[in-house]
Amino acid sequence: MSVLTVLVVVWLVRKGLRLARYLLVAAGLVAAWPVTAVAAVAVAGAWLRGWPPARLYRAALRSAPMAGVYLVAAAARAGSWQAVALAPVRGWQQASGMLAHGRIVQAVLVIAPVAVPTGLAAGGAAWARRIWAINAGLAGRSAFAPAAFDARQWRRQVAAARGALAAPGLVPLATSSGMVPVGPIIRAVGRRWSPVLAVPAAAFARHMVIVGSSGSGKTNLMIRLWAGWYAVTLAAAGRGKPRPLLAALDCKGGPDGRVKADRARRVLYGVGARRVAIWPDEATLSLWDLPPRDLAVLLHQLTEHGSGGAAYYADIIQAVLTLAVCAPGPPPAGSAQFLDRLDATWLETAYADGRPNELGWIHAARPHLGDIQLRYATLLARLGPALDGPGRLADADAWYFIVEGTREPSVAEAQAMAITELIAHAATSREAEPRTMLLAADDYSAVSRRVPLSNLYERGRSLGLGVMVSAQSWQGLGRDEDERYRIAATADGGLWLMQTPHPEPLVALAGTRRVLESAHKLVGATWGDEGTTRIQHAFTADPGLIRTLAVGQACYIHRGSAVFVQVARPRPSPLSLRPSRISTGSGPRAAAASSGCGTRDDDGSPTQPLPVLVPGGLDDVLGPGPGQQGGS
Amino acid sequence: MNPFTALGLPARADLDDEQVRQAWRAIAAATHPDRADGGDPPAYTAASAAYARLRIAWGRSETLADLAAGTPPEPSGLVPAPDAGTVWGAVAMLPGRIRRGRLARMAARSLAAAAAGLLAVTVIPGTPSEPAVVAGAVLWWALTIRSDLAPPPGR
Repeated sequence: MSVLTVLVVVWLVRKGLRLARYLLVAAGLVAAWPVTAVAAVAVAGAWLRGWPPARLYRAALRSAPMAGVYLVAAAARAGSWQAVALAPVRGWQQASGMLAHGRIVQAVLVIAPVAVPTGLAAGGAAWARRIWAINAGLAGRSAFAPAAFDARQWRRQVAAARGALAAPGLVPLATSSGMVPVGPIIRAVGRRWSPVLAVPAAAFARHMVIVGSSGSGKTNLMIRLWAGWYAVTLAAAGRGKPRPLLAALDCKGGPDGRVKADRARRVLYGVGARRVAIWPDEATLSLWDLPPRDLAVLLHQLTEHGSGGAAYYADIIQAVLTLAVCAPGPPPAGSAQFLDRLDATWLETAYADGRPNELGWIHAARPHLGDIQLRYATLLARLGPALDGPGRLADADAWYFIVEGTREPSVAEAQAMAITELIAHAATSREAEPRTMLLAADDYSAVSRRVPLSNLYERGRSLGLGVMVSAQSWQGLGRDEDERYRIAATADGGLWLMQTPHPEPLVALAGTRRVLESAHKLVGATWGDEGTTRIQHAFTADPGLIRTLAVGQACYIHRGSAVFVQVARPRPSPLSLRPSRISTGSGPRAAAASSGCGTRDDDGSPTQPLPVLVPGGLDDVLGPGPGQQGGS
Repeated sequence: MNPFTALGLPARADLDDEQVRQAWRAIAAATHPDRADGGDPPAYTAASAAYARLRIAWGRSETLADLAAGTPPEPSGLVPAPDAGTVWGAVAMLPGRIRRGRLARMAARSLAAAAAGLLAVTVIPGTPSEPAVVAGAVLWWALTIRSDLAPPPGR
């Protein structure tokens, strides 16, 4: 026998064995037709809808009671354990017989209690094997198959998640177990899959960062998170925990800020925040409520200081401010009183009673007092009356601060600085009622140059103050790289990445995972069946995917896992709780007004803050010109 | 009133600021109270309110989302809703949650579950599969219908 003949025989034997194996498997599949049918339907459904295998396993587990009832019923009938053990086999025989006689419905119903859970589990295993084989490069027609498969599955996962949004009860704002649902999961990497991503309310106290370009759906996500946090914390307050206090800082301002504020108020009202104050449009705060020492430091920080020779004058300003604010007697109650104190005569009178050192300092600073007074008069005028009181943070359940970071950056920075200081003081004050607080800075980049939230971040946990920062990009998170990393790396509550062109620094915080990478050998112009496989590290949160996220999609990075989620639009339950009859109209605006957080009249009584549309003259509407005459 | 209708615009996401402004200017010119004929103040006020809402992209997307979701939620009454934390409260609020949920879907699910149960009772009576299929249908119904209910108050 020649060598060629041996080779042919060996080839034929191998092929024959392979064929026999296929036939054996096929026979097994046909024999176990009920399980095969359910598994095939399950895999087809998972493939078409982009479901992960976990979803099939979950369905198998949930349908297992059906098999349990079947076995109990079989036991009640047969009375012996052997008969119970053989019940599925008997059911299969019965169903096969029915099928052979064309009684399909009967056959399906007889075997369904056993076939459904088993088939779903088998389908899950088959689907997991298929995904693994494709990703490892062991299946698929071309070397590009893993990428094509992933892209197709992503599209289907997105479609399935969007479809799930229509279910009103799937993504409530909060759950009874203290979780804050965010939206249906599109894809989970490094974390167990569940239909909806829900974040524990405790995560908010460990700080969060949200990064997404303008129009990526950041505000929707933030409002949902605020409302969920508020609902859970309010429920905890019913069990004796501190009441919630939300402070949302819109650092960009403008007309959008007002629309967002109104929207946030509507949603928050639905979860029980009856008094939502909008600053500066409808409510004010008093800077002068701060303890004198803190007030002096803050007033000093509010002005820009130079370095070098300018530091000398900065020290003089600091000394004068301390003298003025901490003078014997009560601290200043408003801007006018404070400015009055920046006067040599006033200071000398205040410190005349046996304070020779202070009198000496006042004498030394006398040439600069006029300049300092002028500088602070200008600053306080620019800050506006909304920080001059009346009003305290504790007056409301939630505050929405609008600072004009786009239009007047320097003023917005000063205002944001003052507001964050007031919040930090409220969190640390021993006299005030303890509150569980969340400070959320939206579009933080507008004020990040002079408001170092990272300090508050690091102190926040011990103060019971959660901090949430949102920015349009990595660069907007802080004034320098150190500040950005300090903010991002201490966000133990999680990072939310929406569509952003430069996600790499944040994605790196999610780490990498090990994946199999197969290389195929090229034979001529086609891929051969030989190649190599090696273990590679790949980003847990794929930066390429994050760059292409659609509006409303987010990637939640937390403890080395990345969960892609379709954020559900925040909408409170239509069965909103209403504690009492509202006499001044209906809706959150009227409620806010009736609760004392609307615009205050001179006598301190709140007014209805409803928008009033006052028709101006035609010139105001159209400008001078033919439009006035036309009427068209 | 639908703000898009008030401005005579189609409720579409691709409208731009200028289109909205043009529509408002046309209505404002025709209805302004300063016109010699006294204009149409209610129409002007409605158009102005609609313009205030739709003049920026954010407002348009919010309005479209509101329209897609139906009427903004309002409570059925001004009395306090029952406490969702208690069993009685959970039961008491069920009718409201059903009424505000996806009624058609709930009806379809209920019909499907009832049909499966009925089929089992009539087609395979006396077999161990009969109670199992009925139990499976009930279980499926209970697990899936929750997502069609409106969330409880305060959530």
